[in-house]
Amino acid sequence: MTATITRPRAEADPAAPQPKSRKPLGIDRRPGFLTYGLLIAFFIGGTYPLYWSFVAGSSPSSVLTDTWPPLLPGGLFWQNVGAVMDTVPFWMSLLNSVVVSAIITVSVVFFSTLAGYSFAKLKFRGREGLLVFVVATLAVPTQLGIIPLFMVMKQFGWTGSLGAVVVPTLVTAFGVFFMRQYLVDVIPEELIEAARVDGASMIATFWHVGIPAARPAMAILGLFTFMTAWTDYLWPLLVVPQNPTLQVALSQLQSAKYVDYSIVLAGAVLATIPLLVLFVLAGRQLVSGIMAGAVKG
Amino acid sequence: MKFSRRTKGLAAVASAAAFALLATGCSGGGSSTAAGSSTDPITLTVTTFNTMGYDDLYKQYEAAHPNITIKATNIDTGDNAKTDWQTKQAAGAGLPDVQAVEEGWLSAVMQVSDQFNDLSQYGANDIKDRWVDWKLKQATDSNGRIIGYGSDIGPEGLCYNSAAFAAAGLPTDRDAVATLFGGDNATWDDYFAVGQKYHAATGKAFYDQSGFLWNAMVNQQKEGYYKTDGSLNVDGNADLKALWGKLSTATTSGLSANQTAWDWGKGKAFTDGTFSTFVCPGWMLGVVKGQVTSAGGSAATGWDFANVFPGGAANWGGSFLTVPTQSKHPQEAADLAAFLTSADSEAAAFGVAGTFPSVTAAQTSPAVTGTNDLSTFFNNAPVGQILADRSKGVVAQYKGPDDSVIQSQVFGPSIQEIDSGKADGPTAWNNAITLLNQLVVNK
Amino acid sequence: MTATLTPPPATTTPPPPRRAPKDKQPFRHRLSRFDVKASPYIYIAPFFILFGLVGLFPLGYTFVVSLNKWNLLTGPAGFIGLDNYVAELNDPFFWNSLFNTVSIFLLSAIPQLVGAVLIAAVLDQNIRAKTFWRMSVLIPYVVTPVAVTLIFSSAFDEKYGLINNLLASFHLDPVMWKTETFPSHVAIATMVNWRWTGYNALILLAAMQAVPRDIYESAALDGAGAVRRFFSMTLPSIRPTMIFVIITATVGGLQIFTEPKLFNPTTATPGGPQRQYQTTVLYLWDLAFNRQNFGKASAVAWLLFLIIVLFGVLNFLVSRRIASTEARVSKRRMTKLLNDHNQQKTDRAAQGSLAVIAAAEEKRS
Repeated sequence: MTATITRPRAEADPAAPQPKSRKPLGIDRRPGFLTYGLLIAFFIGGTYPLYWSFVAGSSPSSVLTDTWPPLLPGGLFWQNVGAVMDTVPFWMSLLNSVVVSAIITVSVVFFSTLAGYSFAKLKFRGREGLLVFVVATLAVPTQLGIIPLFMVMKQFGWTGSLGAVVVPTLVTAFGVFFMRQYLVDVIPEELIEAARVDGASMIATFWHVGIPAARPAMAILGLFTFMTAWTDYLWPLLVVPQNPTLQVALSQLQSAKYVDYSIVLAGAVLATIPLLVLFVLAGRQLVSGIMAGAVKG
Repeated sequence: MKFSRRTKGLAAVASAAAFALLATGCSGGGSSTAAGSSTDPITLTVTTFNTMGYDDLYKQYEAAHPNITIKATNIDTGDNAKTDWQTKQAAGAGLPDVQAVEEGWLSAVMQVSDQFNDLSQYGANDIKDRWVDWKLKQATDSNGRIIGYGSDIGPEGLCYNSAAFAAAGLPTDRDAVATLFGGDNATWDDYFAVGQKYHAATGKAFYDQSGFLWNAMVNQQKEGYYKTDGSLNVDGNADLKALWGKLSTATTSGLSANQTAWDWGKGKAFTDGTFSTFVCPGWMLGVVKGQVTSAGGSAATGWDFANVFPGGAANWGGSFLTVPTQSKHPQEAADLAAFLTSADSEAAAFGVAGTFPSVTAAQTSPAVTGTNDLSTFFNNAPVGQILADRSKGVVAQYKGPDDSVIQSQVFGPSIQEIDSGKADGPTAWNNAITLLNQLVVNK
Repeated sequence: MTATLTPPPATTTPPPPRRAPKDKQPFRHRLSRFDVKASPYIYIAPFFILFGLVGLFPLGYTFVVSLNKWNLLTGPAGFIGLDNYVAELNDPFFWNSLFNTVSIFLLSAIPQLVGAVLIAAVLDQNIRAKTFWRMSVLIPYVVTPVAVTLIFSSAFDEKYGLINNLLASFHLDPVMWKTETFPSHVAIATMVNWRWTGYNALILLAAMQAVPRDIYESAALDGAGAVRRFFSMTLPSIRPTMIFVIITATVGGLQIFTEPKLFNPTTATPGGPQRQYQTTVLYLWDLAFNRQNFGKASAVAWLLFLIIVLFGVLNFLVSRRIASTEARVSKRRMTKLLNDHNQQKTDRAAQGSLAVIAAAEEKRS
């Protein structure tokens, strides 16, 4: 399931010659105004809140209480952004988020691929049992361990450092299972055998056969791991309030500027920009990742 | 074999990386070198809440001490600041060099007073005469250690909107308003009676919500939620219950605007005549000004400050500057705290935020008694003099360990119930007692 | 419990290592054998070690803490057995938080699913600029829950908030989004829905696209209109995926924290003045980090853990039942071709239903 990448049917390519008989059935007919009207409505629904925050974040906060919000942004965005920077360590928290998310992503992808490969393609005693264990741990919500984890981090003196944010998620059961499901189908046994016959060690086989085959799934897992790490809030809130990640800084902005909500919304917009940029660059991959049924069915 | 060595190498690299990460993480807090000479550049972190008026003072201090950089964080409310402090205290990391502590949760801090530096070791004994004596006493723990320098105290006066009063045919001159409420003998009955008159004339609410009134009522008792011996003093307390009755009757008759405290519709409720009186301890004056300004209002909105308070002298809040033992620069932090609580500094902060000084010399300073930004905003009311008057007769009330929990989580819900009309006074009181038993008695 | 779900892994026996003559290179040979034997374990070791440290150990230690009176600041103060559990099971706030959690979950899962199916159906047509429209429904997903909450909490303000202002201008009564139970649940569910509906739509879209085109064509040949095709063919085919989406939402929904935490920051009680929208994880946080009660908070963590496991098992059982029922139904209803296709999907659904929980990790907010 999860890893079985569903191949979306080939897009109807208008240029390609279509069998004549299809047209009259109306299956791939170009849809009408209703469809585009709905699409535009979805688009507005999805983007208006963001746009509205930008409008509010670029205006004096008194517009927030106006009955009809202004349609166009005001000219105070940079001034409000300046206030955001004065209130919370925006750049530091952005950097923290990048560092944390990047380390977690690299680690999760690497260790998950390694373990997933082992489960999928290597034979060893207890494999089935251990795999069942991995799947079972999917049900353990790590959030519920926050109290002892918090105490442990304190004991080791890690609270306040980014390591405390990173360590609990360096490898995930989901990642292992995901990679296993993917790799079990995509690597032909013969390839591994051939590599072994050539005298390649286990790790070399993994490196030269496993990794190349796993690449598409690694990219997808990486993308989602990054998103998860980036959006995490509860755990960083507890362990690094003074050395915040972007999400924590954003919530601190809210509690510091309760009277000046346009600054808070300017901050919300500002904090969304990095992911928006990423989205413009990698949105296609994100869409196909989700659609590949990568993370879900 | 070379391959398997590579395997191990890989594992070694991985674990080395992990350790490096942790190692760097461990020292993430910055250099832990012993407090070096006073010329080493250091950064002092300060956490405050509400509006404490320190921004200019930080700059001043940085100018006088070129090696010191101050990184200040401000949190909206005292309650949120308490949670923030608690989490960092429990984490054993992340506390600032100077932590502002509110009177309401000082007792929670006192539970772990050994986690705070005894400021007597950093010069407290030289300056301890500057404060009114009850303030100093509050900041001293059971072992005689002074863990905080008093910043402000919170004598309460009454803010009122003269434009709204005029519209209701009430006097607008602040002395006349003081007389209207009963002058020095003002009672809550007087206050609510004027409120009814106002409500009858305008159909509008008289106060923003009931919570601040209730707070004042409790704070002006000799003993509040706790008796001086540390036992709870809520259930069966006839005085409190009678006050609750008055408050809930007034509220349910339409005197409360049922606003969300600390939000007030992003300040708009202060500018559009939603309510016309407001409970104002000194530090609240800065809050009012901030709210009015952020909603686009100004001095012309008509807020004024009267030298009167129903039910007698009352104190709400006031803070202390502490130096947690987590601080790597306790001496410098204590010096900064001493600077921020000097007579000049407290007087300056007052001019910005209305935080009434706990330092006696500052209370009579011209910067407090004269005109400043704040007095201009409040229609040139002599806010400093009024607050000095209002502070007469204020006594420090004993605050138990769960005082702030009782205020916010036990009575908070009941106040919202009477404000929104979900329950009548007696029901809401009983609900509060139930909550008290659940949250405090049987915790 | 999950054991049964795991499909038998495609057992592919790697060929036994070639036997080198024993007298030649005995050391190398031994090493190679060691490599073959140990490598699989070394590869999976990081997961198990880390999981032991950050998964199992905390779970166990949480249990230990829950058996004690334990203060956030002052530490343990005596073993009290199961008292914390008894206290929590008798605490109306605990049940209140569960009720809120489930209610918010239902208010987000159901509209989300309906919305996602609708969007997916629209996207499934032969539209121009497919990629653009697909990306556009995903935009809310890149706005983090914290930012979403900041944005919406302002719009949902009771006094002078955008939404109540608009209501007022249509002469409607303002809604008490932040102090009444149902409206506050709707408001929080709205935030969740806004962020996730497009995401789920893409998953459902993928499922819809996996339905072979020829089936539609033969149905169309038989005279079935577009609407009928949608209800009698598309919907049944994507049912396993819909179950998947629901399950994912469940586990994420049971752990919702960010939205209620930041929805109304000025209230002194986290989750609304009367805890109208205090969810269980928020309740746990309040207990531990506001009320300083680590012992009770740990008990709540364990209770919530048990509930989530229970939900997981229930989910699995239900989805397996639905999946197999569906397989039967479809056998009757659909053409052989579609049936085969579905059979494949049901198998996949059954296989994966718990793995989905993992995906929910991703939904943690």
